[in-house]
Amino acid sequence: MADILLEANGVTKRFGGLVAVNQASITVEKGKITGLIGPNGAGKTTFFNLISGFMNPDEGDIIYKGQRINGMRPSNICKLGMTRTFQIVKPFPELSVLENVMIGAFNNTANTARARQKALDVLELVEYSEFASISAGALPVAGRKRVEVAKALATEPELLLLDEVLAGLTPTEMWGMIEVLGKVRDAGISIVIVEHVMAVIMSLCDHIVVINNGENIASGSPQEISDNPAVLEAYLGADFNANEVMG
Amino acid sequence: MYSRLKTSYIVYGVVLLVLLSLPIYAESDFIVALMPDGLSGSALLHVGILIFMFAYLSSSWNILGGFAGQLSLGHAAFFGIGAYTSSLFYVHFGLTPWIGMIGGAGLAALVGYGLGFVSYKYGLKGPFFALVTIAFAEILRLLFLYFDFTGGPLGLLIPLASEYTFWEYQFLEKEPYYYIALGLMLFGILISAIVSTSKFGYYLRAIRESEEAAEALGIHSMRNKMHAVALSAAMTALGGTFYAQYTQYIVPDDVIKIALSIEIILFAVIGGSGLVMGPVIGTFLLVPVGEMSRVIFEGGGAGASLVALINENIPAGEKFGKYMDYLSSGGGGGLAILLYGVILIVVCLVLPRGVLPAFKKLGAKMEQRNG
Repeated sequence: MADILLEANGVTKRFGGLVAVNQASITVEKGKITGLIGPNGAGKTTFFNLISGFMNPDEGDIIYKGQRINGMRPSNICKLGMTRTFQIVKPFPELSVLENVMIGAFNNTANTARARQKALDVLELVEYSEFASISAGALPVAGRKRVEVAKALATEPELLLLDEVLAGLTPTEMWGMIEVLGKVRDAGISIVIVEHVMAVIMSLCDHIVVINNGENIASGSPQEISDNPAVLEAYLGADFNANEVMG
Repeated sequence: MYSRLKTSYIVYGVVLLVLLSLPIYAESDFIVALMPDGLSGSALLHVGILIFMFAYLSSSWNILGGFAGQLSLGHAAFFGIGAYTSSLFYVHFGLTPWIGMIGGAGLAALVGYGLGFVSYKYGLKGPFFALVTIAFAEILRLLFLYFDFTGGPLGLLIPLASEYTFWEYQFLEKEPYYYIALGLMLFGILISAIVSTSKFGYYLRAIRESEEAAEALGIHSMRNKMHAVALSAAMTALGGTFYAQYTQYIVPDDVIKIALSIEIILFAVIGGSGLVMGPVIGTFLLVPVGEMSRVIFEGGGAGASLVALINENIPAGEKFGKYMDYLSSGGGGGLAILLYGVILIVVCLVLPRGVLPAFKKLGAKMEQRNG
């Protein structure tokens, strides 16, 4: 059995009468890219918020490296080695790109010069060094997403949670980002990625978890997922028959 | 970038030299001739002391309000805690204010931690935190008015020392106060610069920009904000002790008044909040304007009648001259405040981020043109 980094079991979150996440589970193996997919409103981002400590689950356990982290502060979870990005990116707009990334880098050092060096290294990795001195608020979407990833990487996580870092990018920008994610994996960092772009998920992920209406409906390798009728139904509707369309 | 940095350091250095040597030539004929009628060079030192003290207070506020973006409208409370703690120790136990002020700073820090804890524990942000700080300052003012040991509404008179020594923190001349205030201001700038370039400063700015994003990057936002309140409060308290020693008389309605809290913020906002030199530059611009307009427009108060002047049948030029005479002899008492207000509004409209960022932009532009 491979090394398990993160395990969420039977996680439930209710908002009043609405069950946003219902008994959802995910297992993340070390060194792998795990995809979390599902139609709009499936509860992916809520699930992400639960795992990263931004929300408290009503039921279930979230175990990171053998430690139960339910109800822990996000900053403490980050200190344990799990860092997230936000779907709606949250740069520090008044600060420069370099300063944005330095703030992540301070997670492991109190020395400003060392944090600056770390930030420069990370910007090099995500191929965004030339924009280091621009203020983050002035960047276009693609740039903000890069900075979002760079900030998280600078905290030196073992597990990176990426919430739709490809959404809203042009194909060129997207492949640039995918290249970056490949480098991140090669650096030994495990990734959980929430994404809508199927081609990306299929080519990038080692393992995929599908949720719909807040519940797990499938999990497996990309091949298994694309052949799974429950997944097709969730995405395309119950009446859809792939064979009919394909002829 | 490097050369611009150097230029600004040279400017700051020259200004510092001028300020350091000001007491030497304050009474010179040249300066006295420049001063408005009836004012000596010591009035100039007094204005200098005010500027340094407010620059220091504004810098202290800036750590919380500027760097961390936590709008405190009650910093007069910490100022009052500093002033009263050292003074009460001096009055009752004869403890030198130099040690008493450390007690005041410590107490202000503790109170700051408490205030921060209660506010942030219950998620009070932005305007709600501001309301808590106003309420806190007002309650403290009322308590100080109520209790006897603080002297109540009569205030606290700091007894004259038997001899004026540095250790007593009391002086006959203005010069020692001048240099102590200058030292305070430099201390404030130094602490701001250290905070600004340290991990703590980066974390405070991150919290100001987005608390959620800061948490996601491993920043314990509540703890850092509480540290900011405490540091800012402790620094402000040191300013309170200085004020008490300078005026030798404190009363709650004077040291814990809302107007003081607001003034401290204005200097920072006008100069450029969140920047090390912002509050200092704001103070250097505004305090002289305020003092000067007071001297010019609220002078002696000769009893000329404005209505009679308006109705007088004389040429317009002569009339204008008489208006100026009227104003300069103390007519139109509220004009100073009016002028002050107009300047504030104009600066806020034209330079919403403050004067310092505008200076920097101008400098960058000139550099581009030259090179």
